[in-house]
Amino acid sequence: MAELLEVKNLSVSFFTPAGEVQAVRNVSFSLRPGEVLAVVGESGCGKSVLCKSIMKLLPRTARIQSGSIVVNGADITGCRERDMHRLRGKLFSMVFQDPMTALNPTMTLGAQIGEAVRVHQPGLSGGAVRQRVMELMTLVGIDRPEERMKLYPHNFSGGQRQRGVMAIALAGSPSILFADEPTTALDVTIQAQILDLLRDVQARLGTATVFVTHDLGVVARVADRVAVMYAGRIVETGTAEEIFYDPRHPYTWGLLRALPALNRGRDSLYTIPGMPPNLAHPPAGDAFACRNEYALAIDYEEEPPMFRVTDTHYAATWLLDERAPRITPPIGGAHG
Amino acid sequence: MTARKQIIYWGKKALLFVLSVLVLSLAAFYVSRLAPGDPLVSYYGTRVEKMSPAERAWAEERLGLNEPISVQYVRWLARTLQGDFGISYKYKMDVTEVIAGRIGNTLLLGGAGFLLIFALSMLLGVLCAWYEDRPLDRLLCRVGTVSSCIPEFWLSLVFILVFSVTLRWLPSSGAYSVGRGDDWLDRLAHLVLPLSIVVLSHLWYYAYMVRNRILEEVRADYVLLAKAKGLTKRSVMFRHCLRNTIPSYLSIMAISVPHVLGGTYIVETVFSYPGLGTLSYESARYKDYNLLMLLCLMSGALVILCSMAAQIINERIDPRVRPQAPEVTER
Repeated sequence: MAELLEVKNLSVSFFTPAGEVQAVRNVSFSLRPGEVLAVVGESGCGKSVLCKSIMKLLPRTARIQSGSIVVNGADITGCRERDMHRLRGKLFSMVFQDPMTALNPTMTLGAQIGEAVRVHQPGLSGGAVRQRVMELMTLVGIDRPEERMKLYPHNFSGGQRQRGVMAIALAGSPSILFADEPTTALDVTIQAQILDLLRDVQARLGTATVFVTHDLGVVARVADRVAVMYAGRIVETGTAEEIFYDPRHPYTWGLLRALPALNRGRDSLYTIPGMPPNLAHPPAGDAFACRNEYALAIDYEEEPPMFRVTDTHYAATWLLDERAPRITPPIGGAHG
Repeated sequence: MTARKQIIYWGKKALLFVLSVLVLSLAAFYVSRLAPGDPLVSYYGTRVEKMSPAERAWAEERLGLNEPISVQYVRWLARTLQGDFGISYKYKMDVTEVIAGRIGNTLLLGGAGFLLIFALSMLLGVLCAWYEDRPLDRLLCRVGTVSSCIPEFWLSLVFILVFSVTLRWLPSSGAYSVGRGDDWLDRLAHLVLPLSIVVLSHLWYYAYMVRNRILEEVRADYVLLAKAKGLTKRSVMFRHCLRNTIPSYLSIMAISVPHVLGGTYIVETVFSYPGLGTLSYESARYKDYNLLMLLCLMSGALVILCSMAAQIINERIDPRVRPQAPEVTER
């Protein structure tokens, strides 16, 4: 199947008074129609920046330094703002982390969804727009849409607002949906509902989804494929099964070992030692080396390339080099 | 709000207004009478210098100036409440008549100034916000800051020097040339310099506020979603950001009325423009008490009304529809 979205060697930097911060470094990935890709990593590893740079929603201090973004066979890397607004909403759309601030507080929810509908179908009559708004609200599980479309965001709870944001994101029937930690700001009980909704909508509409999260438990529920990010790079990518049952990168091991489900019966949860590096001055070699208990000497000198494990599974760690010592992974290891 | 609550609400506001005006009148009355100067000069002119003490005492008694200030105030208040504001010492006629002859000029200058500031500051603010941090915005910010820092009286003198004395393009004083009071072009020519000073010295302050309020909105999270759904920059700016700034803009402009009025008074004085500003200045300088009091009360009432309007607008901006602080989450 043809690739819907293909990102090649993308690097994005922020230019701050303190200097250049390389938020995304040399990232490549692709997305097929209808597929759910989860992008996993710690806070500040560049997950959100990656999505926003594809949609060109970054502030003016950010710049795409190199690489290309190809959507539906068209290169949009150099697209300017006046062309981007035609693609946004229709080709790709986004659900944001915090539904409390993502809606305009002075406009009714119905008006905000209606606006999204009208942008993509300018000729639609008022009644038809209303009809479509109610359809969308029903789709995302907001009951009694006729009444609720007249309410303001502050009348809704967090979960309901996130449903509203999803209705807006889906208004233009986008081919790709970026979900930027859509459940992080919600109560735990609501998180599951929103996840189920995302999965349900995704299955019904067949929207390809890039799901950004720091929660591996969430990934298992929704993703077909997983990309693990660390310090602005993708360090391991594979199908969900490969990542969960046969992880190869020490960072992925660490993430999986830190899951509460795998720490049952122990007094405290496993944590990865240390802190992520400062991306204003990324360290030489592998950025993860100093937190990696399996680090080799070469990790401190040279960045590892992506080693092929299977056709779908790649990992950037020198442990996969044929000259590396054999070690027993602390986790998984169905084949390893 | 129920009708009862409404009545209480507006009753409180009205009471506050009356009290403020009363306090203002008391302060103005005492300050004007305690300040040094001879009120008899404004009534009798230079003749005062040749008066004997007996004549002076008689004159003071005739004008009611020989009694303690508190008694004078009570008398003045009683008269004022009956609608009698007294006569002007200098013009020897009812103060309301003196003011009626001048108020049109001030309303023209101040009103036109206010409207121009109102419209232009919005325009400039939007322009700067649209081109944020690009050359046009930076230029306007610098020029604006400098222009708003120049004192009005000094700028007025420079304008007079340049446009009236050196270039001889525009008249330097008055509201119209002698005998041409009905000529609108002539009036306009006299209005240009004072009006541009009033506008120039206030414009940037408000434009900058508009610019920053819009930029605050542009940085809000909802703008990302609005963009993500496919809206153009123009739709986001005008339908979302600008719209959300309008309530606070209205309250800012209500507060601006007193500032612009104060500026108008200063500019009138420099340009000898026959309006309430020059009249206030004269009456304060020459102790024309009755005239001064009425001018004070009128300007003061306007200032208090506008501040209250701003307050009411601010109260009406429901705090629940304001952008909320981000909630504390696990990350």
